[in-house]
Amino acid sequence: MGFVRVHHDVQEYEVFARKTRLEPLRQVGAVVAPDDELAMAYARATYDEERWVEMMIVPKAAVIQLWAPGEAEA
Amino acid sequence: MRYAEWCIAAPTLEADIAAAAMGLDDIGHSRVLYGSLRELGVADVADEAGSYANVPYLDRPWAEWTAFVAANGVLDSAFTLMIEALAGGNVEVLRSRLKKMLQEERYHAMHGRSWMRESRAAADAEQARRDAIVWIGPEGGDVDDLHHKGILSLGVRDIRRRLDEQVGAAPASPPIDWKAWDPVRRRISPGGIDELTLGMLQGLAEKRYMPAGA
Repeated sequence: MGFVRVHHDVQEYEVFARKTRLEPLRQVGAVVAPDDELAMAYARATYDEERWVEMMIVPKAAVIQLWAPGEAEA
Repeated sequence: MRYAEWCIAAPTLEADIAAAAMGLDDIGHSRVLYGSLRELGVADVADEAGSYANVPYLDRPWAEWTAFVAANGVLDSAFTLMIEALAGGNVEVLRSRLKKMLQEERYHAMHGRSWMRESRAAADAEQARRDAIVWIGPEGGDVDDLHHKGILSLGVRDIRRRLDEQVGAAPASPPIDWKAWDPVRRRISPGGIDELTLGMLQGLAEKRYMPAGA
């Protein structure tokens, strides 16, 4: 049986985190949720197994892509 | 424990993970609270059926996801308000140990609020709210007494008002018969957890798999 989402209107969020203040933020995964609050709760529940000093989420729709793999730099 | 029962039954994979994580959080919170009680000189209570002072909402496993959502959105918020009142009170061991708990509960509240917006959980939420109000206790009771002594930073009216602010004002419902209130178990209705739940809490199911003599 296929996996069925109950949310009607969801968006994808990228999850970023770092373990020390000196290292850059890196993408650690993604979550799908209908709003920012649930996305925050899901990100924390899913990716909190490591000792991050910082974690943040960004709606994927807010990311402006300059070019994609295989595309020439504009 | 009720959260953990939904860790493979929630409507989405993300909600499964959140249920497991929140269940683990709350086990950790219980350990901190019991440890604090011991440090404050409160004797352990016998681990038997009648000793569990849970709200009636937790007596039986939840049959529907809406029951989970209402517990998460309403009951968890009420418990967190009491933790906040303890963390803001004048007992040092509680002031210092409960802060992390509040940070974790912030994510439980986000999860509960969001799912309350999406789910048709009104009937379950009303039951959860009623159980929460009964658990907080009557005005002029022990919670207000602790508030006057500074042990709790919030009194009954404050906690009820904050709960309304967080989860929405209560619809009209029958008045609570405080004469029947049990101040130890903090509930009005008799009963308690079932045998299966008691067995899981006591780890009896797991003990069956332990080597003999262990």
